[in-house]
Amino acid sequence: MGYFSDSLAAAFQLIISFDKDIYQIVITSVSISFIAALIAASLAIPAGIYMAMNQFAGKQIIQHLLNSLMAMPTVVIGLLLYGLFSRLGPLGHLDLLYTPTAIIIAEAILIFPIMMNLAIVAVTSADQRLVPTLISLGAKPIALSIQVAKHTRFAILAAIITGFGRAIGEVGAAMMLGGNIEGFTRTMTTAIALQTSKGEFETGLALGLLLLLIAFIVNFMLSWLQRSYS
Amino acid sequence: MNSSYQLRNIKVHHGQQCVLDIPELSLPKNKCIALLGNNGAGKSTLLDLLAFITKPDQGQISLQGQTAQFPLSRKQRQMIGYVSQHPFLLTGSVADNIALALHLQGINRKQHQKRLKQALELVNLSHLAQQSARTLSGGELKRAAIARAVAYQPDILLLDEPFSHLDQSHSQQLEDIIQQFSSQAGMTVIFSTHDRLKGRALADSTINLVSGKTTKSPLLNLFHGTLHDHVFDTGHLQIHTTSQLKTARHIAIDPSEIIISTEELHSSMQNHFMGRMTLIAEESGTIRLTIDCGERFHAIISPKSLSDLNLTIGGTIWLSFKSTAVSVF
Repeated sequence: MGYFSDSLAAAFQLIISFDKDIYQIVITSVSISFIAALIAASLAIPAGIYMAMNQFAGKQIIQHLLNSLMAMPTVVIGLLLYGLFSRLGPLGHLDLLYTPTAIIIAEAILIFPIMMNLAIVAVTSADQRLVPTLISLGAKPIALSIQVAKHTRFAILAAIITGFGRAIGEVGAAMMLGGNIEGFTRTMTTAIALQTSKGEFETGLALGLLLLLIAFIVNFMLSWLQRSYS
Repeated sequence: MNSSYQLRNIKVHHGQQCVLDIPELSLPKNKCIALLGNNGAGKSTLLDLLAFITKPDQGQISLQGQTAQFPLSRKQRQMIGYVSQHPFLLTGSVADNIALALHLQGINRKQHQKRLKQALELVNLSHLAQQSARTLSGGELKRAAIARAVAYQPDILLLDEPFSHLDQSHSQQLEDIIQQFSSQAGMTVIFSTHDRLKGRALADSTINLVSGKTTKSPLLNLFHGTLHDHVFDTGHLQIHTTSQLKTARHIAIDPSEIIISTEELHSSMQNHFMGRMTLIAEESGTIRLTIDCGERFHAIISPKSLSDLNLTIGGTIWLSFKSTAVSVF
């Protein structure tokens, strides 16, 4: 008990003293996840809105694929991208392995199906009269999508936040593709794994607490948005 | 080009069921037209087609003399104002909703204020321009939706069940709005209602829908059943017809063709039924009777006949009509 409470006290000390190394890792982690969330959202949200509003051949297959990808282990994404980005891989010449960009790509791929699925749900669960009303008022396809996105903005924002929350807690792909390089690709989750294995439990705990705090803030924002939406 | 719409070989299916089947229909221009029919008759489906919100599974629709394709051109879309049975207003104020319609229709921004003012004045809703659409009552919401639909000055106004869920005062207001709009030069109003008497009172002409098919019958005294050997069985009554059809599912009897008497008439008329008077009402100078003979019949008589026959609610009376008075379809 003494070990755990001493470590917890030391972890709090690191947090309130604004330990430079700890916050460097937090900034790296948040910025990587934020960029990944933005990239994924810019593709997944329009794709989700399009899919929800249109009927086309293969829609069911895409839906099944998205559901499957949502459950895909992150380490598999890490493995596949490692094969692509490693020096001998087809994209090896881009020198992306062990860079933040590689982690961003992996996290964006990881959260894309989650965001797209949630965007589909956001549009399909909107009032059934929304689209016919907008069509009758003269909305053309692009204006129609913009208006639908505007009307379902809270649910769509919730999809983006959920994606961000998933990205920041990701460890498998970040470890394999980032290499856990200090000050460069070391994220909160990879740092926790490393520090704990090195026996520096208080540093891992401090990062764990900050990760929990971020998760709490993300969830708080989500529930606030859901309240606003309903 | 005297028709606002020309429909040819229209078919709409919901799953396996054909919910609309219109071989040919022409809706005149500059008229107020009522689509009459019971719930599920296909009125909303037809209005959705006329508003070009849904496509028919088969057939062609011409709008103001031009074949219309999905999606409509901006010019064609501007011709149509549509208000659904349960109108949906987007987040924001009444004015925001109207401004959005003007924006989507590509109306010059300089004209927005003027059009907004005109539309709100037409529906007597100027005082609620800045009110949130979420806080409107049912009647206000319908009027706001009409203002939004007429703001871009369409040639055709489509209203789906505009009087449903409205109290008498709101219903009266809406009648005035429809009459005001349809009296404007070049305007066509097409509205659906299950209230046949109101539809006939308000409209220049009516279109009757039964199970997705148009009929010329007045749809009063409409009964469903089966036809066998010129006799239509409603399940409660056998009604003689002159129909040559082998199968039919509906009949309608013009209420003015029904003869009322206090004793059974001995005449060449083939249909005689005894019933109980359930309603006597005055309507536009005539007397409307409702008689329960196992099926509920509506008959129209003059005020003089009412006093001559000395009819009372609950009293036993006879009604008779010729087999030629029965429309079978």
